[in-house]
Amino acid sequence: MPDRSMPWDWYGGEVPENVVLGRGAFLETTYSFFLHRSTRSDAIEIGSGASVYKGCMFDTGPDARIRIGHLALLNGVWLIADDGIEIGDNALVSWNVVIMDTLRFAADPVARHRELGQIATRRPRRPASMVEPSRVVIEDNVWIGFDCCVLPGVRIGEGSVVGARSVVVEDIPPYTIAAGNPARAVRGLERTERGPNVTA
Amino acid sequence: MTPANVRIGDETIVIGNGSWGRFRSIVDDAVVLGNHSTMEEVHFAIGRNGRLRIGDYCYFTHAILLCDFDVRIGSYVIMGFNAVIADSDFHPIEPALRVLDALACSPLAGDRARPPIEQLPVVIEDDVWIGPNATILKGVQVGAGAIVEAGAVVTTDVPSRVRVQGNPARIVGVV
Repeated sequence: MPDRSMPWDWYGGEVPENVVLGRGAFLETTYSFFLHRSTRSDAIEIGSGASVYKGCMFDTGPDARIRIGHLALLNGVWLIADDGIEIGDNALVSWNVVIMDTLRFAADPVARHRELGQIATRRPRRPASMVEPSRVVIEDNVWIGFDCCVLPGVRIGEGSVVGARSVVVEDIPPYTIAAGNPARAVRGLERTERGPNVTA
Repeated sequence: MTPANVRIGDETIVIGNGSWGRFRSIVDDAVVLGNHSTMEEVHFAIGRNGRLRIGDYCYFTHAILLCDFDVRIGSYVIMGFNAVIADSDFHPIEPALRVLDALACSPLAGDRARPPIEQLPVVIEDDVWIGPNATILKGVQVGAGAIVEAGAVVTTDVPSRVRVQGNPARIVGVV
């Protein structure tokens, strides 16, 4: 059995078997898997040269899959997935951003009563999914500012920027700056040639 | 270590290293938690005179409760990651008073008292669902069964069984 602990990890856990780290990818702490429940063999894939810093949390349901692209940088991002979240290459996602493909709880308070009663009996106390998840796709080279929320079913197009504290409730086209709560397109971004051709 | 003036009900669990790190209350029964609730990595930042009540079967994950005065939360309430409730401005709005406040808060304070700071109770009724990154500010009452969408900033009362969204939060639907 290979050692799946990391010497710099304050939490002192192990990287779960179904988490694949690409070449040179950096993971700050295994505490990020405290809420990881996915049993898929390909549950989490972190691209080569990607960085996943402290405060990130992979809050996955039993059948969830999360893919993080090459050279992506995630700092304190909360990923709530019951189906799938895909984050493209070179994406930048800032602190306290919540990206979720499910709201987990149903809108009906009576139905939530039953689920909350059940949660109190489970060990550990985790919610079961009461609603259909809807996958989220963050395309390549997207930059998401701090404290944003990205809600289920959303796709953010390549090269776009989401301003701090925005709440993204619908798709954002490629090469667009969007901001606000709920987020709206503010202006377009020029589609230019990539700078130095860096490959992971 | 759970402070002595905190009461935790049957089958209620408080998990997390930082839960009581900012607990300063000296009042009796400063925090009373009901039964069967789950408080995972909840930040109980309770000021010197703060008083917090939470009902039964609540489920809070990584929520932040900033309570200098009075926060009352019902039963079957859900709070998501990084959701915040604050019952105070924590500092005066008026610039001159803020200067005095900075001095009174500093290591040079001596026996200087802080200037008056606006505080108003927050009431979250039963069955409310507060999404991640949402903020509930002082003086707000959120009615039973209401849904506060992710990232909403709630500055005024929310009626029962509505959905609110945005900053400032507005009603966008009914439940």
